[in-house]
Amino acid sequence: MKTEISFILNGLEVDVTVDGHLRLIDVLRNMMSLTGTKEGCGKGECGACTVIVDGRAVNSCLYPANEIEGKSVTTIEGLQMPEHKLSKIQQAFVDHGGIQCGFCTPGMIMSAKALLDSNPNPSDKEIREALQGNLCRCTGYVQIVEAVKRAARQLKSKQ
Amino acid sequence: MRRFDYFRPKSLKEALELKKTIAGAKFISGGTDLIVQIKNRELKPSALISLRFIPELATIEINGGARIGALVTISDILQHPELGHNYPVLTEAAKSLGSVQIRNVATIGGNLCNCSPCADMALPLLVLEAKVRLQSAKASREVPISKFFKGPGESCLASNEILTDILLNPPHNKAKATFLKKGRVKVDLAIASLALLLEMEGGICRKARIAAGSVAPIPLRLSKVETLLEGAAVSEDLVSKAQHLARETVSPITDVRATEKYRRQIVGVYVKRGLEKILGQSLA
Ligand SMILES: Cc1cc2nc3c(=O)[nH]c(=O)nc-3n(C[C@H](O)[C@H](O)[C@H](O)COP(=O)(O)OP(=O)(O)OC[C@H]3O[C@@H](n4cnc5c(N)ncnc54)[C@H](O)[C@@H]3O)c2cc1C
Ligand code: FES
Ligand code: FES
Repeated sequence: MKTEISFILNGLEVDVTVDGHLRLIDVLRNMMSLTGTKEGCGKGECGACTVIVDGRAVNSCLYPANEIEGKSVTTIEGLQMPEHKLSKIQQAFVDHGGIQCGFCTPGMIMSAKALLDSNPNPSDKEIREALQGNLCRCTGYVQIVEAVKRAARQLKSKQ
Repeated sequence: MRRFDYFRPKSLKEALELKKTIAGAKFISGGTDLIVQIKNRELKPSALISLRFIPELATIEINGGARIGALVTISDILQHPELGHNYPVLTEAAKSLGSVQIRNVATIGGNLCNCSPCADMALPLLVLEAKVRLQSAKASREVPISKFFKGPGESCLASNEILTDILLNPPHNKAKATFLKKGRVKVDLAIASLALLLEMEGGICRKARIAAGSVAPIPLRLSKVETLLEGAAVSEDLVSKAQHLARETVSPITDVRATEKYRRQIVGVYVKRGLEKILGQSLA
């Protein structure tokens, strides 16, 4: 059974026709060719597939595609600035060694973005809590927390 | 993933109608249990019937007590100021459930209907003596939460029923409650967990409600321990009896997370810690 769904993807309205069993990550990677979103475990454990739906970080591997009807989805590709520049959060990850192999990074950054959008001035504890659903096998997390702190400072000074 | 159809009814009536007509269909709320079970091939539904497009299921109402719609997410519970103020034990449990990404979609109704012995939201609801409302095409019934769970993955919910609401009594201003959970890491299912509600008057325990998770086939009220505490002065001697009785009452299993013996031990420790936390004193 196929259903037509419309939603907003990185600010643009899109229509897709999906099978019932497809997940949001399948739509993003296979239909929209947005392969920045990664699938690690496919079971909600690792957070590599994190995207933002209506302002909240979610695991796109557990999100039925049918449920995105009428919603707004932001992926890592949606963070790109004009002239292919990196966003402040992305740049902070690069500058602080918060990115090594990079597999966890898009998910980490989307979780960090969801946090900073709702709480521009998070404590270390709040940053660690917001990133608890994102596993990283390389960095040891310290640099990631530093990167998020730096991004928070830069985003504030911009305003 | 195995193929299935997906339906998004806009009313309870339509959802119940679909369930009746499609053989092998399952309801889906947040999907954080269900999608994983399908992925693990533990379940092979022919279709999923989403409850997420039925607006009345996703509301919270404070009415002396409270009515929490089954589709309210764990994050919604954490963001609701009055609910947290009136029932802090509910927020304590909600905070411990999964990661941000899970809490943003996982629903309270799904947590109960999945009927896992480790369901975190079951414990505060058991000590608050909540009721659940179950709706079929023909009738609606209210069941005390202590009668809802029947075994791992099994409840008194019939296949043609939807859990629509969780009903809470008005907050009890003399009673205090707390929630404790032991996991391997912060984001994990409980190795063992405990909720405890206590009402004290002049050093005497007037009311005790205790529920434990991951130590029996269902989230379990420890009625014998409650009876031991009620009407008695909470002394060190009584606490050590209560711990012993709690360890005897539960029937945990050994699995990947912990051994049966360890789980029993933790329940005893948590009975004491819970009492200490509520009474604000050490019961060495
Ligand atoms: C990474 C990860 C971490 C987790 N951590 C925890 C944790 O710490 N503590 C914990 O308790 N759980 C945890 N869970 C399990 C799960 O997230 C929760 O149990 C969640 O609350 C389930 O809700 P849901 O809305 O996603 O349910 P769903 O998956 O949508 O449904 C679960 C079951 O209930 C049925 N159902 C759902 N809603 C209704 C309804 N209203 N009426 C009738 N039947 C219904 C469905 O058919 C299904 O069988 C975790 C899961 C993952 C993937
Ligand atoms: S791929 Fe979604 S949480 Fe791991
Ligand atoms: S950078 Fe390699 S997993 Fe995080």
